[in-house]
Amino acid sequence: MKRISTSAAYRIAFVYSAAIAAGIALLGTIIFFAMHVAFTRQLDVLIQDEADTMTLEYRSGGLDALTTAINERERLSSRAQLYYAVFTPDGRRTLGSLDTPMPQTGWQEVTFSAPEGSDTGRALAIDLPDHRRLVITADREWLEQNDRTVLITFVVGLVAVIALGVVGALLLGGYLRRRLTAIGATAEAISGGDFSRRMPVSDRHDEFDQLATVLNSMLEMIQRLLDNLRQVSGDVAHDLRTPLTKLRNALEESGRAPGGVEAQRAVIADGIGKVDEILSLFAAILRISEVESGRIRRLFASFDLSALITDLAESYAPALQEEGRTLTWSVEPGVMIDGDRELVAQAVTNLIENAQRHTLVGTVVTIALERVGTNARITVADSGPGVAESDRATITKRFSRLEHSRSTAGHGLGLNLVAAIVALHRGTLQFADNQPGLVAEMIVPA
Amino acid sequence: MRILLAEDDHETAEFVARGLDELGHNVVRAATGIDALHLATTEPFDLILLDRMLPEMDGVAVIRRLRAAAIELPVLLLTALGRIEDRVEGLEAGADDYLVKPFAFSELAARINALARRGPINAPITRYECGGLSLDLLRREVTREGRTISLQPREFRLLEELIRNAERAVTRTMLLERVWGFHFDPQTNIVETHISRLRAKLNEGDKPDLIETLRGVGYRMRPCEAD
Repeated sequence: MKRISTSAAYRIAFVYSAAIAAGIALLGTIIFFAMHVAFTRQLDVLIQDEADTMTLEYRSGGLDALTTAINERERLSSRAQLYYAVFTPDGRRTLGSLDTPMPQTGWQEVTFSAPEGSDTGRALAIDLPDHRRLVITADREWLEQNDRTVLITFVVGLVAVIALGVVGALLLGGYLRRRLTAIGATAEAISGGDFSRRMPVSDRHDEFDQLATVLNSMLEMIQRLLDNLRQVSGDVAHDLRTPLTKLRNALEESGRAPGGVEAQRAVIADGIGKVDEILSLFAAILRISEVESGRIRRLFASFDLSALITDLAESYAPALQEEGRTLTWSVEPGVMIDGDRELVAQAVTNLIENAQRHTLVGTVVTIALERVGTNARITVADSGPGVAESDRATITKRFSRLEHSRSTAGHGLGLNLVAAIVALHRGTLQFADNQPGLVAEMIVPA
Repeated sequence: MRILLAEDDHETAEFVARGLDELGHNVVRAATGIDALHLATTEPFDLILLDRMLPEMDGVAVIRRLRAAAIELPVLLLTALGRIEDRVEGLEAGADDYLVKPFAFSELAARINALARRGPINAPITRYECGGLSLDLLRREVTREGRTISLQPREFRLLEELIRNAERAVTRTMLLERVWGFHFDPQTNIVETHISRLRAKLNEGDKPDLIETLRGVGYRMRPCEAD
C-alpha cells in the first residue's frame, strides 16, 4: 500500500473520487431534508383540511354528523392514517379513538396509546363552537417510512459511487503510474549511461506521447551535442599533437644544434610560429563557440553589405592575383543587413580563402551579392576541382577536412565558422556544383 | 615614458615590465584594480596598461572610474578574453586600445608608441609633408616630388596610417584593425599585398623606398629626409 500512498497518480485519482462522493453525499442530505420538510408540510395541510371539514360537518349536522364522519373515517384505513378525538370542556374524551389527554389548542406533538404501544403524532387541536375540543393527529409512520426509503436509496447510491470511485481511482492511478514509470525508467536508463534509449511513444497522441516526443527530441539534441563534444575534444587533441610534437622536436634539436646563436634564433622563431598556430586554433574554437552562443546578436546593427563585399573583393583581388588566380565580383549596390559587420566579413573572407587554397593556379573566383526578395544572397564561386556531392554536407562540420586537403594549411574550422556566422544571422549556407568548381551560397535576411 | 602597468599575473607583469624597461620606459606596477585606480589618480603617467581581470576591481570598472574623474590619459586594455562582446565593452568603457593575450611584445610596443603619439586631438591635421612626399587628407591627394600618385582608397588609408605613425612601427594587426576594421586574422596577408602595391606606386621611377619592412613586426615610414 505504500506504493499507492506515495503515488501522486493514485492520490489525484482518489481525491477526485472522494470529492465526487462528498458532492453526492451533500446533494443527498439536501434532498433528504427538502423532502422531509415538504412531506411534513403536506401532512399539516392534510390535518388542517380535515379540521376544516370536521368543523363544517359539526356546523351543518351537529354532534351526530361529526360522530358519523369520524367513525366513518376511522373505519377506512388510508395511507396517511389520521386519528381523531373530541373532548368535552371538562376534558373527557367522548368521541374518536385517539387515546390521549386533552391537549391545548393549536399545533403540537402529542403522545397517544395505540394498539402497538405508545406513539407520537403531529396534532392540531381546535375548539368547536360549543367549546368541545376536536383533536386530529396524523401518524408519523408514513412520513418516517418515506424518510427511510429516501435515506436507504441514497446510502446505497453513495456506497455504489464510492465503490466505483475507488475502482476508477485504482484504474486511473495505475494507468498514470504505468505511463509515468515508463518515462521514468527510460530517464533512469539514460542517466545510467544508455544514451540510445528513447521515451516510449504510443499511437494515441495524448499528453504523455506529446511529452515523450518533446523529451525525445531533447535527447536527440543532447546526443548530438555530446557526439560533437566527443568529436571536437578528440580532434582538438589530435590537431594539437602535431604542432606540439614539431615544436618539441625543434626545441630538442636547438639544444644540440651547431651553428651558434643565429641558428638557435631561427629555431626559436620557428617555435614561436608553431605556438602561434596552436593559439590560432584555440582562438578559432573560442570564436566559433562565441558565435554559436548567439550572444553577439545583442551587438547587431544595420550596415551596408554592398560596401563591405566590394571592400573585401577589392582587398582580396590583388592578393589572389599575386598567387596566380583571378577574383571578379558583381555587387548590387545599397543592400543593407542587420548583423555584425566583422563577422560577415570573416565569413566571406573564409569562403574566399577556401576558394584560393583548394584550387589550382589560373582559377577564377567570383563573388556576387544580390537582393533576392527580402534576402541578401552572397555567392563565392570558383572554377576549381569542387567538392563531391556526398562531401558537401560534412564540410561545414568542425575539423572536417577532406582527405586530399589534409596536407594543405588550415585547421578545418573555417567553414564551420562560416556556418556558425550564417546561423547567427538567421541565414542559410549551401554548397553546390559550379560546373566546374564549388559555389558557396549564403542567404541572410536583408 | 612613465607607464602604469596593472597586471595581477606575476609572470606576465615581469615579461611586460622587463620589455618596457629595455625600451627605456619607467614602469610602475600595480597588482589590484584599487591600487591601479589609486596610482592613476594620484600620480602622473603617460599611459596605463590595464589588465581586464584584476582582483578587487576589474579593468573595465577602473577605466569607467578614471573617465568619470575626467582623467583622459591613454589606456591600453590587456585581456585574456578574446570575445567580441568583451572588446566592445572595453572600448565603450573608454579604453583607447585593446590587446588580446597572448601577444607578441613587439605588438604591445608598437601600440604603446602609437597611443603615446596620439595625444590630445586639438586641430585635426589635414596635410602631411615628409621629404618629397605630401599627403592632402581633405583632397585625398598624394604627390611625390611634385608628381601626383593615384592611389586606391585602401592604399591611401594605409599610407595615412603609416604617416600618422611616421618613424614608429605599425604592426600588421594594427593596420588590419585601422584600415580594414577587422579584428580577426585572415590567412591571406592582404596587408602585405597592399603595402607592396603602395610601395610600387610610391617608388615608381627608382626612388628610394619610403616604407621599411620590420621582419616579424610590421612596417615603418622612414624618417623624412630634409630637402
